[in-house]
Amino acid sequence: MYILGIGCYYHDSSAALLKDGKIVAAAQEERFSRKKHDTSFPINSIKYCLKSQNITIKDIKYIGFYEKPFLKFERVLSQHLQMFPLSFKTFLSSMPSWINEKLRVVRRIKKELKYKGDIFFIEHHLSHAAGSFLISPFEKAAILTIDGVGEWATTTYGIGKGNNINLTNEIRFPNSIGLVYSAITAYLGFSVNNSEYKVMGLSSYGNMNKDTNEYYKRLKKVIYLKEDGSYKSDMDYFIYHYANKMPSKKLCKLLDGPIRNPNEEITKRHKDIAAALQLLTEEVITKILNYMHKTIKCDNLILSGGVALNSVYNGKILRNTPFKRIWIQPDPGDGGTSIGAASYIYHSILRNKRNFILKDAYLGPEYSTKEIKNFLGKNNIKYSEFKNERELLEKTAKLIYENRVVGWFQGRMEWGPRALGARSILSNPCNHKMKEILNLKVKHREKFRPFAPVVCEDDALKYFDCDIPIPEPTDFMLMVYPIKKKWHKIIPAVTHIDGSGRLQTIKKSQNHLYYNLIKQFGKLSGIPILINTSFNIRGEPIVCTPNDAYKCMMGTGIDYLVINKFLIKREDNPKDKWDSERYAND
Amino acid sequence: MKRIKQFFTGFKEGLKDFGGNISIVVNTILLSFVYLIGVGLTSIIAKIFKKRFLQLKESKRESYWKSLNLKKKKMEEYYRQF
Repeated sequence: MYILGIGCYYHDSSAALLKDGKIVAAAQEERFSRKKHDTSFPINSIKYCLKSQNITIKDIKYIGFYEKPFLKFERVLSQHLQMFPLSFKTFLSSMPSWINEKLRVVRRIKKELKYKGDIFFIEHHLSHAAGSFLISPFEKAAILTIDGVGEWATTTYGIGKGNNINLTNEIRFPNSIGLVYSAITAYLGFSVNNSEYKVMGLSSYGNMNKDTNEYYKRLKKVIYLKEDGSYKSDMDYFIYHYANKMPSKKLCKLLDGPIRNPNEEITKRHKDIAAALQLLTEEVITKILNYMHKTIKCDNLILSGGVALNSVYNGKILRNTPFKRIWIQPDPGDGGTSIGAASYIYHSILRNKRNFILKDAYLGPEYSTKEIKNFLGKNNIKYSEFKNERELLEKTAKLIYENRVVGWFQGRMEWGPRALGARSILSNPCNHKMKEILNLKVKHREKFRPFAPVVCEDDALKYFDCDIPIPEPTDFMLMVYPIKKKWHKIIPAVTHIDGSGRLQTIKKSQNHLYYNLIKQFGKLSGIPILINTSFNIRGEPIVCTPNDAYKCMMGTGIDYLVINKFLIKREDNPKDKWDSERYAND
Repeated sequence: MKRIKQFFTGFKEGLKDFGGNISIVVNTILLSFVYLIGVGLTSIIAKIFKKRFLQLKESKRESYWKSLNLKKKKMEEYYRQF
């Protein structure tokens, strides 16, 4: 039985396909449309899902949609009714999409896909919860979902047992720690629903001491926090319930200045505000988790929703709360809800036993050797071919060791916002200049942002102060841990200002080629760690096809592309060079 | 022949843009009307009767958690969009 899950029309549209309860394909629409955080109907992702199994829409038994659109519309309408006449501008800008798309989901699905079967609508936070719990290794777990907002809920918690999920409590809009995080992100001059992770990275540069960070004390005024972790936002500081902007004038006054212009220099004040926000967020979630553990009495924790992408905090959870194990799916944000909607139908509504644990994130499209060879030949691209896997590993590791920047395109594309060794840019973490080289040649991103390390799981504890046993979400680059002090100077390119690293651990069973490459690099350098950053042009989604990968290499300063068993050198193909920075938009 | 084709392609694009602009104007007028009459009147009446659609000023309570009880329901419930 095939079940298709769909999530769209807010941000990060996606589709996921289940076959007898097992996820066989999943991808975000942005990878195909090349629009970052694409919100549109995920027609390309759906086509990919169907093609991957050689099936048609007639083979789909059920479709699950990731929220209840009318409930969400009720909330939107309530905002306009409450805030009349201040909400006039947002009413004009948001209503056309509600009328043309969001309230016509059934019509769109049936028309676009020519689908005649049943469509189920699963509440937004239930989709988040199901998307993590039902594919986790836990038979029983406490579940916490936190995001900006779903229909009405912004934070929920409950319990998952077998194939049942019961979300028992919620915090409702406009109170939302996710929206507070986004509002301060906007205040700091970064884009909402896109750059929250930048604020998280910036926080390490600020004052992380609660006693001495003045802005932490001030930000405490915007959230009333109870001992049980429940909270409410002081809406005098925000205008997101009726305007397109998020911070109010009162918030600007509280934080000593106007909203930062994106081109403005980042000062100590901005860094301290980012740190204060991170401290406040951690305090709220810690209180919720402690309370949950007390009431639910279960040591396993499932975390979901966009806030679960806060890897800095994720790495502290097991140390700061009584929970013993944690699991987060590779895409806990809205992108992941398509998996949740489909899984909930199969396991909870149809009451089928759970039979699947997500062990790796390789759920996207892949391209055969023949397809890639055809692409290279058709475009007159100069390349060489590795004789065997050994040569591929030795030569690639050597290139990285010699400080070359290598594009790595192998197998099925990753599911979720992180590059995990299928569509990655790899380089040498031991070179203290590598951060600058990567920024100059390829990424062109803010100087304060760290690069992430990837390490084989069996080596992780030697270099990182991880929880023991190492939590599975590190496989999906969702936990930040301190790097052991003696290695700070050995791997400077992946050591953040506070001595931490957002590591990815990799097991041989997940991706043997990637695993062996890291080991091979270890043989050359003595350090089995690589820099792993996403394979994309600034402002664009991660590459999906061989054409995307080649275009990215030729538009940036990536030196080599290792694609399947082929090696392409940028310098050998001067005819295709271009400057991606001229078109970058982030 | 090529020029004629180019002309009609451009003409078609122009008409499309023109149609788009008209729909923006019509939408704005209609939505303004709906907002002022529909939303506005309802909002004013609601304010007279002290009806609140959003809890912006929640009173101080022991806990801000609200009961949700979101669990498995009858299958028919999932066909609903609300």
